[in-house]
Amino acid sequence: MSLEEPEPSTQLDVGVTDDGLDYDQIEALIDDYVIGRESHVNAEGFVVRPDDVQAVLSTLKTEAGFDFCSCVTAQEYQDRYESIYHLKKYDDPTQEVSVVVPSPRDDPHNQSGADVYETADWHEREAYDLVGIEYDDHPDLRRILLPETWQGHPLSLDYNQDKPQIVPLREHANPLQDDKRSPSDPDTMFVNIGPHHPATHGVLHIKTALDGEQIADLEPDIGYLHRCEEQMCQQGTYRHQIMPYPDRWDYISAGLLNEWAYARAAEDLADIDVPDYAQVIRTMGAEMSRIAAHMLAVSTFALDINGDFTATFMYGIRDREVVQNLLEDLTGQRLMFNYFRLGGVAWDLPEPREEYFEKVRDFVDGLPEKLTEYHDLLTNNEILQMRTVDTGVLPPEDAKSYGATGPVARGSGIDYDLRRDDPYGYYDELDWDVVTEDGCDNFSRLLVRMREVEESAKIIEQCVDLLEDWPEDEREIQANVPRTLRPDPDREIYRAVEGAKGELGIYIRSDGTDKPARFKIRSPCFSNLHTLPTMSEGEYIPDMIASLGSLDIVLGEVDR
Amino acid sequence: MIGILKSMATTMKHALDGETFTVSYPEEVPEVSPRFRGVHKFSQERCIWCRQCENVCPNNTIQIVTDDQRNGEQYNLHIGQCIYCRLCEEVCPVDAILLTQNFEFTADTKDEFAYNKEQLKNVPWYKDIDPLQSREPDRGAWIGEGDGEVDYQ
Amino acid sequence: MQSETPLPDTLANLLGLDPSNPLVLFVIAVVASGVIASGLLALVAVSGIWGKRKITAAFTDRIAVNRHGPAGILIIPADALRLLSKELIVPEGVDRPAWDLGPLIMVFSALAGFAVIPMGNGIQIADPETGLAYVFAMASVASLGLVMAGYSSNNKYSFLGGLRAVAQNLAYEIPLILTGMSVALFAGTLRLSEIVAAQSTALFSLGGLAIPSWYAFVNPFAFVLFMVANLAEVGRNPFDIPEAPTEIVAGWQTEYSSVYFVLAYLSEFIHIFLGGAIIATIFLGGPAGPVLPGIVWFLIKIVGIYLFTQWARSAIPRVRIDQLIEIGWKGLLVLAFANLLLTAGIVGVIA
Repeated sequence: MSLEEPEPSTQLDVGVTDDGLDYDQIEALIDDYVIGRESHVNAEGFVVRPDDVQAVLSTLKTEAGFDFCSCVTAQEYQDRYESIYHLKKYDDPTQEVSVVVPSPRDDPHNQSGADVYETADWHEREAYDLVGIEYDDHPDLRRILLPETWQGHPLSLDYNQDKPQIVPLREHANPLQDDKRSPSDPDTMFVNIGPHHPATHGVLHIKTALDGEQIADLEPDIGYLHRCEEQMCQQGTYRHQIMPYPDRWDYISAGLLNEWAYARAAEDLADIDVPDYAQVIRTMGAEMSRIAAHMLAVSTFALDINGDFTATFMYGIRDREVVQNLLEDLTGQRLMFNYFRLGGVAWDLPEPREEYFEKVRDFVDGLPEKLTEYHDLLTNNEILQMRTVDTGVLPPEDAKSYGATGPVARGSGIDYDLRRDDPYGYYDELDWDVVTEDGCDNFSRLLVRMREVEESAKIIEQCVDLLEDWPEDEREIQANVPRTLRPDPDREIYRAVEGAKGELGIYIRSDGTDKPARFKIRSPCFSNLHTLPTMSEGEYIPDMIASLGSLDIVLGEVDR
Repeated sequence: MIGILKSMATTMKHALDGETFTVSYPEEVPEVSPRFRGVHKFSQERCIWCRQCENVCPNNTIQIVTDDQRNGEQYNLHIGQCIYCRLCEEVCPVDAILLTQNFEFTADTKDEFAYNKEQLKNVPWYKDIDPLQSREPDRGAWIGEGDGEVDYQ
Repeated sequence: MQSETPLPDTLANLLGLDPSNPLVLFVIAVVASGVIASGLLALVAVSGIWGKRKITAAFTDRIAVNRHGPAGILIIPADALRLLSKELIVPEGVDRPAWDLGPLIMVFSALAGFAVIPMGNGIQIADPETGLAYVFAMASVASLGLVMAGYSSNNKYSFLGGLRAVAQNLAYEIPLILTGMSVALFAGTLRLSEIVAAQSTALFSLGGLAIPSWYAFVNPFAFVLFMVANLAEVGRNPFDIPEAPTEIVAGWQTEYSSVYFVLAYLSEFIHIFLGGAIIATIFLGGPAGPVLPGIVWFLIKIVGIYLFTQWARSAIPRVRIDQLIEIGWKGLLVLAFANLLLTAGIVGVIA
């Protein structure tokens, strides 16, 4: 046993006790900076002064082990602006802490947290863009979702929605103007990849400086699909009107997973218990959604690597079609399900139940054979291996700093899955495994998705067994929820579920009315896309395209 | 090399088995689930003009005009804007509105998608099936009103 | 056996004209070329517009075109009309006339290659002594068109596509020709009709079935090498890098529309068929085959090779440009030289 190396984890367990975090110990750690304390439903929040942000965050990161900044929520109150850093640990996401940073209304300035957590970079840009808080020392504080010329900040209280906005074409970068982007190396060439490009998976614009065929510099430019989803949710009632919209964030048939994110946050906010039977149905439906989403991810990845005549894409679509039919039977729609309700689900399983179980079982039983086919077409193919192994490398430290989650994190060997680590639904009663791969490259991410499909199938199978044996008089699909739901005022919650692309979190603040006062979506794709420059710089263009495909972003969720 | 040959064998197997998973629409129509939520059908006979559907609609697709006695005059639904969330059907206390299985509708302009109550009444059934019945078996059924006369007030 | 006289002479004799008169020969040759070019274009139309969809659909479990005419075959005139009636968009700043000449060069180089191919039943416009060299030369002129198109389009995607096309063609032209030379060593001639004739003898007999001495059977190694190099030469998976739609939109043809697009599109298919014709001629005995007339066998062979490219497209991922260059220079070139030396050795021993 070596004497000189103490176990680092002993220091990083500040406040960890058997029954949750002891927030007093954490407060003691940052005692010099804390000016107040708030209680959120998910965690305690420490109020700190705007110019102590960096000190507090880095203390919490290095000394208390909060290595994951999952979200930065900004909002405006009548008397102040506020930024909330939702911190977690990759090892145990139930250990959460919020850092609340108020700043004055007349001059909203905060210190930036981007030095501590890379992921805060984009989150703070979004906060600046939509709410109007300025972050000092931010590396690059520009608008991120709205055009550069936008006037005002749409989520601030005094924003005039009727003011006409002018977005002149001349403000767009002229692609030919800055041919020589880097003065030190004038041989680079600037290329706009997107917003209309066959492989950007939506309207993504990547400003790329090329050195020959290699990527010298690259910057994703997002916001082309910004649809004010947060604002729409703030204008909808908890009980009914919000639920149809989550389907439209990640619209690649991951709808039920998104609905669950909202359902979980709102149910915890309003203390609604969901009956077990409904939880099992939710679990089954959500895993079907995950299979459908992963099938599309794998098949479009094949499209990116093989070119547009590949048969793999069509096979993927064909197999996804089967899941979609099952979901259609269950929910009545193929993509925009609107099936979950607060406190349960809309309907019981379709009648005749036996027939439905039969169909689900057929699908699950046929899956291994289909997956063998995909392995033959993709992972066993030497050329695909040549193309994907050791390209688009994302080391685990970078993945953590950028807040990557889902298959992207698990492809970098980070064992993080909210279904297991922060159990919800019926997952903790079922027998399944979290899939991780250590390759950190495009190939690993592909492999993780393909193996997760198998795990999801395992979960579905167990759910079917449970549902089949469920006593007929206990099939309760919904809890008793008031027709107009008004959670107590000034409750705040951040809750996340494991979406198809990673941690999909919702922050809600209630103000006593039937509509949320602030509704913030933490999109996994947003943070995952942020890793693209790290993965791609120095690589060839085709590898950048492959990396983008392996991130499996959905622009609807990135831009919201 | 073996992997490449395996890939090629896989696609060739598919080419030779002669099966297709696409169909010759519209001659061959894929099955639509009984629960499918398509274009609305409206029953003026049932409607009590309580305006709950208008209130619950998340994006103001439904517009109701009543006179000062609260008698219904107009019931308009912009089918081109509808997100088919089915909340109107869910909150309706008298099952006056129902999302049929019909998804086949076209128009030349966006405006033609604003259906008034006559158009909503005449939305054809897709098949002889009652979607409401399959969605919520304990709710009242619509079937029978599909093509023929409405037999009660 | 094959007719030894080229098609224009045959035609002249049929019409009772004197083939030794250069003027007569010229006119007749133009007519004959026109006939063959039209036939080729018809073949391209069928296989490129209709056949490709059907083949791709078969691999991907779909139905594809089935509305116009039997099995949707009338989509060909419909599509031709559609493509030709589109607006020809000339982007700002393109370098004319290079931009206009690019697609023309591609089409004509590919078509001109067919002039020396013996297609059976006496269909061969000319039979020069340097036939094999001529056909390779013509096939590679297309690269010039690609560069012109890529460079003059004033589009960075086109530019990248053009550069990739040059790099790729350089890397694969040499192994391709070296492998072709090994055949010339066997046959002892560059004249294509003689290469075909050299393959007509029986190699050995298998249960009463005479296996002809096609060079694909004599030297399967060279055949495989040539097939791979040919995939790169015609730019099909796994070597469709100059276009690579998911990476550089459509490569060198990004800015082409309407008629120019049709030309570019046709040239790709003619090129595939030219590649197929070369393979058929030097490895598969040209038009040789039992029962059916030679031209039919010849068509079967080149369509078979075309099918192979489509099959490869359905299953094989695209390699990266640096990997492609590596495969070309470090892999295929070395193998091609090895094959050449081996062949020279064998031929020397036999002789």
